[in-house]
Amino acid sequence: MDKLAELSEALLQLDGEGAARLIGESLEAGIPAARILSEGLSSGMRKVGEQFREGVIYMPEVLVACDIYYSGLEKLRPLIQPGENRQARGRMILGTIHGDIHTVGKDVAVPVFEAAGYDVIDLGVDVADEKIVEAIREHRPDLVGLGTYMTSTFMHTRETVKAIEAAGLRGQVKIICGGPSVDAGAAKRMGADDASDDAWEAVGKLDRLMDELKAQGRTV
Amino acid sequence: MSEVVDRWVERLKGKLPPIGTMTHWERMAAAFDLKPMDMPAVAPELDYWQITYAGYSHQEIYNDADKCTDACIRTWADLRTDAIWMYIDISHQIENFIPAEARPKYFVHRGSKDYLLFKPLAKTLDEAIALYENRTFEKYLGDSRAVTHYHPHMLQLLEFQEKMDRVVPVIVGAASPSNYAETIVEVQQFVRWTITQPRKLKHYLDLALEERLKALDYYADAAYGNGCRFFGLFGGARTWGPRQLREFGYADQKYVEKAAKIFPYLFWHICGHNLPEAMQDLTCWPLKAVQYDMPYYSQKLSYREWFESVARLFAGKRCAMNAPTTQLACHGTPGEVRAMVRDFVDATTPHTTAVVMPGCEIDAFTPVENVKAMIEAARERRL
Ligand code: B12
Ligand SMILES: [Zn+2]
Repeated sequence: MDKLAELSEALLQLDGEGAARLIGESLEAGIPAARILSEGLSSGMRKVGEQFREGVIYMPEVLVACDIYYSGLEKLRPLIQPGENRQARGRMILGTIHGDIHTVGKDVAVPVFEAAGYDVIDLGVDVADEKIVEAIREHRPDLVGLGTYMTSTFMHTRETVKAIEAAGLRGQVKIICGGPSVDAGAAKRMGADDASDDAWEAVGKLDRLMDELKAQGRTV
Repeated sequence: MSEVVDRWVERLKGKLPPIGTMTHWERMAAAFDLKPMDMPAVAPELDYWQITYAGYSHQEIYNDADKCTDACIRTWADLRTDAIWMYIDISHQIENFIPAEARPKYFVHRGSKDYLLFKPLAKTLDEAIALYENRTFEKYLGDSRAVTHYHPHMLQLLEFQEKMDRVVPVIVGAASPSNYAETIVEVQQFVRWTITQPRKLKHYLDLALEERLKALDYYADAAYGNGCRFFGLFGGARTWGPRQLREFGYADQKYVEKAAKIFPYLFWHICGHNLPEAMQDLTCWPLKAVQYDMPYYSQKLSYREWFESVARLFAGKRCAMNAPTTQLACHGTPGEVRAMVRDFVDATTPHTTAVVMPGCEIDAFTPVENVKAMIEAARERRL
């Protein structure tokens, strides 16, 4: 097995030490950091997703895999040369909506989106609408992800969208909700663009939203 | 003796038209005993919802046990569900781990219908273990909301139950060891540590178990002693996999075993995406009923198929309690709510008894028409 395949496998085996060692060895062997990320760590995260959805592994394993992914990412990020940078598919801010402190879903969704090639800025939990508006101004994302894990907090989507509109920023971003109790129709009725209860499935939706943004002439 | 209870007893006792041929209590008891029933029981967990239905805000009842009790009874008098759930929030569960002056930092109340926000009490496993080993929960118990709010509210509702000659049961709820252990450190940390620090985690869980087993002595005295027979246990462990159930499931099991010696009508609340292995375990513990929820992500089942698979698993062993989902109750139409209730009853009753009861509490934003549709749909079914 080549090093990157081994790295991907180490992630799947929840072998943090092994993953750290393989990243070091890959770098020493001259493999570019961007390739280690995409063909090693991110490919491992995709397999984690497949195994979770097939019921081979469960939420605790997914979370530990996410941690290993992150510590690898931390090491690789500063080493990725601007020129060799994987072209990020888009930039996203993601936070759990105000009134909601569920974290697990966000902790899984963020690395899944990262591994799929999005730059994700994690705003944390119980994020006030003003903070989301501020973050849009600061980071100029293409996508705004709202973690809405309960029906009541999912219903806050309307207010959050209004705050983004009031700030004159609605045209610049696509908004997607996530959580176990979301409903795409209801999300659209509240002024968002989509919703998903599955991070891996959501990647397809993010891609579609990016296409729509491009079609609207918004430069990304 | 409570004035609010006496007012309601005077207004309601002997004056309520019968529903079906059984009392609410008889219907719930029959469901739990797997005996014939006149119609499916319906007992949604209304805790936050009933507060606003009765005209109060969540803030208003937070420190007022009378208003809280008033809300529960007022809602029941209107809707006539087959049980009254006492109101519980997370502050009742963990305030006694926090000194009074620090509590405002840990609990945040926002909109009139919003859930209480709370912050974890420990960041590391060592901190969490210390909370137990230093017996923090005993130090700050006296002026905590477990004592000042939960306890009087529970006693009031039980007083109502008894003064109404047990036409309707009151459901008293308590959290399990896994629920406590997870809440204190946050679920996402707990589940990580099942893999990265299993031995230390077991020690922590044992401490949580010890505290919970002792708490059952309180429940034997204050709840059973005052008439409580229907006792609901809120399980944690809802993001665990089969490996976690095997390694750490023992704590909840021991808790159930002791509770079953006290309460004849004991049930388990398992919300979220339910793992088949967890449902299997619940058929081996001494429970009478299970309030369950959605199928696990990896099971590609329709709701109808899910209801039926659980009913088959529970046949001759457990009463099944579900439907509609909390999200359908909130976002769906009354027609959709009715359809899901019918699906649940029709898929369940060939195999075991059914109580219409969403897998978790009804959201505070759930439209009244949908709650009514749920109740009517259950009442229309004859068994
Ligand atoms: C664990 C849990 C808790 C833990 C949370 C711990 C934590 N720090 O996260 C605790 C015990 C603290 C908790 C508290 C409460 N909870 Co809770 N909780 C759960 C539970 C069982 C699992 C959540 C979870 O971790 N799932 C695993 C993750 C990975 O799944 P996920 O969140 O769906 O995320 C996936 C996707 O949705 C997606 N995704 C996630 N985020 C995003 C973001 C975007 C943008 C996108 C596109 C996708 C995406 O990716 C993930 C992977 O596929 C759920 C039930 C469930 N099935 O989810 C209830 C649930 C969310 N909780 C619920 C409730 C009611 C509560 C409480 C109000 C209970 C109470 N009375 O106090 C409080 C609320 C506290 C608050 N104010 O926030 C209800 C909400 C009901 C409803 N429909 O409104 C649920 C649905 C249970 C139920 N069936 O009724 N809870
Ligand atoms: Zn629940």
